[in-house]
Amino acid sequence: MLQAVLSKIDAAQAETMGFLFDLLRFKSVGTDPAFHPDCRACAGWLKGWLQARGFEASLQETTGQPVLLARWGAGQAHLPHVLFYGHYDVQPVDPLNLWESPPFEPRLGQNARGQPAIFARGSADDKGQLMTFLTAAARWLEVAGELPFRLTILLEGDEEGDSEHLDRFLKAQGRALKADVAMICDTEMWNAVTPAATTSLRGCIGEELTISAARIDLHSGYFGGPATNPLKALSALIAKLHDAKGRIAIPGFYNGVKPPSAARRAAWKKLGMSAKTYLGQVGLKYPAGETAFSLAEQVWARPTVEVNGLWGGYMAEGRKTVLPAEAHAKFSFRLVDGQNPAKVRKAFRTFIKKNLPKDCRVTFTAGGGDSTGITIDDQNIWLKMAVAALQDEWGTKTALVGSGVSIPVVECFRKHQKMESLLVGFARHDDGAHSPNEKYDVESFHKGARSWARLFAEIGKRNMK
Amino acid sequence: MSIDKVASAAESAFNASLNRLMELLRIPSISTDPAYADDCAKAADWLVKELTALGFDASSRNTPGRPMVVAHYTPKGATPKTPHALFYGHYDVQPVDPLELWNTKPFEPVLKKGADGVERIYGRGTADDKGQLMTFVEAARAWITATGSLPVKATFLIEGEEESGSPSLIPFLEANKKELSCDVAFVCDSNMWDEKTPAITTRLRGLVHEEVEVQGPSIDLHSGMYGGPATNPIRALSKLVAALHDKNGKVVIPGFYDGVSPLPKATKKQWTTLKFSEKKFLGSVGLKSSAGEKGFSVLEQIWSRPTAEVNGMWGGYTGAGTKTVIPAKAFAKFTFRLVGKQRPEKVLKAFQAFAKKHMMKDAKIKFLGQGGGSPASEISENNIYIQKSAAALKAEWGRDTVLMGSGGSIPIVRSFKDILGMDSVLVGFGLNDDAIHSPNEKYNLNSFQRGIKSWVRIIGELA
Repeated sequence: MLQAVLSKIDAAQAETMGFLFDLLRFKSVGTDPAFHPDCRACAGWLKGWLQARGFEASLQETTGQPVLLARWGAGQAHLPHVLFYGHYDVQPVDPLNLWESPPFEPRLGQNARGQPAIFARGSADDKGQLMTFLTAAARWLEVAGELPFRLTILLEGDEEGDSEHLDRFLKAQGRALKADVAMICDTEMWNAVTPAATTSLRGCIGEELTISAARIDLHSGYFGGPATNPLKALSALIAKLHDAKGRIAIPGFYNGVKPPSAARRAAWKKLGMSAKTYLGQVGLKYPAGETAFSLAEQVWARPTVEVNGLWGGYMAEGRKTVLPAEAHAKFSFRLVDGQNPAKVRKAFRTFIKKNLPKDCRVTFTAGGGDSTGITIDDQNIWLKMAVAALQDEWGTKTALVGSGVSIPVVECFRKHQKMESLLVGFARHDDGAHSPNEKYDVESFHKGARSWARLFAEIGKRNMK
Repeated sequence: MSIDKVASAAESAFNASLNRLMELLRIPSISTDPAYADDCAKAADWLVKELTALGFDASSRNTPGRPMVVAHYTPKGATPKTPHALFYGHYDVQPVDPLELWNTKPFEPVLKKGADGVERIYGRGTADDKGQLMTFVEAARAWITATGSLPVKATFLIEGEEESGSPSLIPFLEANKKELSCDVAFVCDSNMWDEKTPAITTRLRGLVHEEVEVQGPSIDLHSGMYGGPATNPIRALSKLVAALHDKNGKVVIPGFYDGVSPLPKATKKQWTTLKFSEKKFLGSVGLKSSAGEKGFSVLEQIWSRPTAEVNGMWGGYTGAGTKTVIPAKAFAKFTFRLVGKQRPEKVLKAFQAFAKKHMMKDAKIKFLGQGGGSPASEISENNIYIQKSAAALKAEWGRDTVLMGSGGSIPIVRSFKDILGMDSVLVGFGLNDDAIHSPNEKYNLNSFQRGIKSWVRIIGELA
């Protein structure tokens, strides 16, 4: 069966590209109300496309853009149940003047390596990626008449905007959307030839604080010396956040953090992630994180605190000899599996209050959208099947990688559906996901669909129920 | 006519004096912001008009920056022996931000009586320095109106770049040495000891500025993808700022204290006899405890000790909400207050070397300051003009004049000495709670009124 499906995918490639191009023409910018009709039209197109291929499909209203929900084989309780997640909304296109062709008129061009690539907003993030899965499912049904599993497809329209909308929707759905696994196609390959599954994600919390001292801004001549300067106080606090080895000095910060397994550390070491490449591309040389951990561990397995912004005093042109009354900073904390966001926030606030110099006061504001860190177990059976399927397709050992970035839906599925996720994607580092001239390599698109087909075959073989 | 009669003439014409001050205060002459260049010119023209009407030979002189007002007055029958005094002030003002903290509009001055019964003029520049400079303009007017003439030769020099470091002043003094050299300079940009006690400032701290840019990555980074290994320039800059002082408040930059001598015992003793309440001084601005160098009184800290201060700092995302970014750059503005024989250029060099040494490995620091700066200045208490002025002030206020220090810098004092060979007498009527450089700057009506009368008496003493 697999060979027949793979042949069908290959033979029908031109038609499949046509479908993707149709999807890419929708200006489904979810964050801009002007494009909300386009979002709905895009979801409607997906609904029609899936219905034509034997799915029961409907648009579900949410507090944001509609969710496309489609099912196949709902009654076949003897089959394992897979939920596929993707998003049809795309990033805004600005700066428009940097695009070489109109963002919503997809075009076939070449990537930097001279290979064919599809240029359009959403080609990689996430329309091209979600279509790899939909193509595999549709072609499988076309060839075999049935899938080796029950399938629920959930495509949302608020991924680039406020994740609260989907969170609410998933909370309301609860067990009704529970499947054996969620498959998510919104991540990258390790490199151009190495497929990857992402097995750890860092969570994130935001925190803002204001330190105030004197009642008013002071003249630095008349008060310079005895007056407490909140900018200095804030600087001293920031300087105190890390010790000399880059370790975060907030008591209790690392509670619950487990080091990555020896196997994972070894696997990451083999990936050969180098500071020269990873940091070199952004003008840096030396990893500034915890000295006891490798670069891969620093971004994938270790929590951080970062200052995202700081301001206070006179910031305009010229000079002003002032001692400001207030200083402000925004922080984000990247969290790993086991850390509790509320406890981290509390530990941070306690630390700041405890180290605040005399005559200073502090107020805190929590940033929205807390998320926890996630680690997916190496022994997860779905992961193991995916690793095998990807390796068969690409001929290279599948890399199990981490990601420093949070994907909130993974936590939502865990929380509301008690469901673990499988994160497999075929995007490449140079796709420019949120940038002008976003592209998706034709190879990613084509072999992506074939990869999913191979995974379907693995599921069939294993008879998961 | 006696000095007292001129003083009472000034008092009866006070309402008109106040109206003129209000007119000047309405001109938003912010020198640090190029958007207000025209308003600076307007303020200069207004002064030229007023001084010309008084019989001065007044003009607004172009400089590469804001214009300089120069005005001369020679009484009839003046001889080479007639004393010649220069009066210096500045018509430019500080920026007004944060605007939202002002209770009234900064350039719509208002006179308000407080719950304590004290009348105060609120507005940007009321105390620094328009209200102060108008005290001697109006004193000159009183002499001319009451007696037909000033009793001394007078030159007014009113600049428009004091709040931006006076970049044009030194070249202007150099170019006009002869025209501007007088027997003595009077500078009205300082404070009284308290609201009842007049003061002459005899020690001033110097000042030098620096601005730095710290660069980490070449572009702003996603804190998820790079948080951990990426060098954050805000952190690098914070570490530098935190490293400037030790736990006793001492500046740890090597060589920073070169040229700083201990305070002479006699001066130290005199200062301890001044009734200065540290609690009140700090309490007036909402502070309780001194954060300066341990082992020094607050007066010593502000009058006789140098400092390193950060005046502004910024970088990354500063808008509403969250943006998980690691910024490419962070910035800070610094000032160093100098005392004794500290040299601005040496202090800057020492700071730069220290800053470079304290950068994180991947952080690059650039120094964007313009250099310059001025060393501290001190004037002998035996100076004849100090003594005459102290006597005149005592006559007006009925209390002994305090000879004090000031933490602020008035670079002109140094330039008058170095370029024109003149000593400066710093007499001013500002108060510690005037909130200069801050929102809701004010000048007490009494400061303005008796300030005018004080100058009437000082001018009388000189004659």
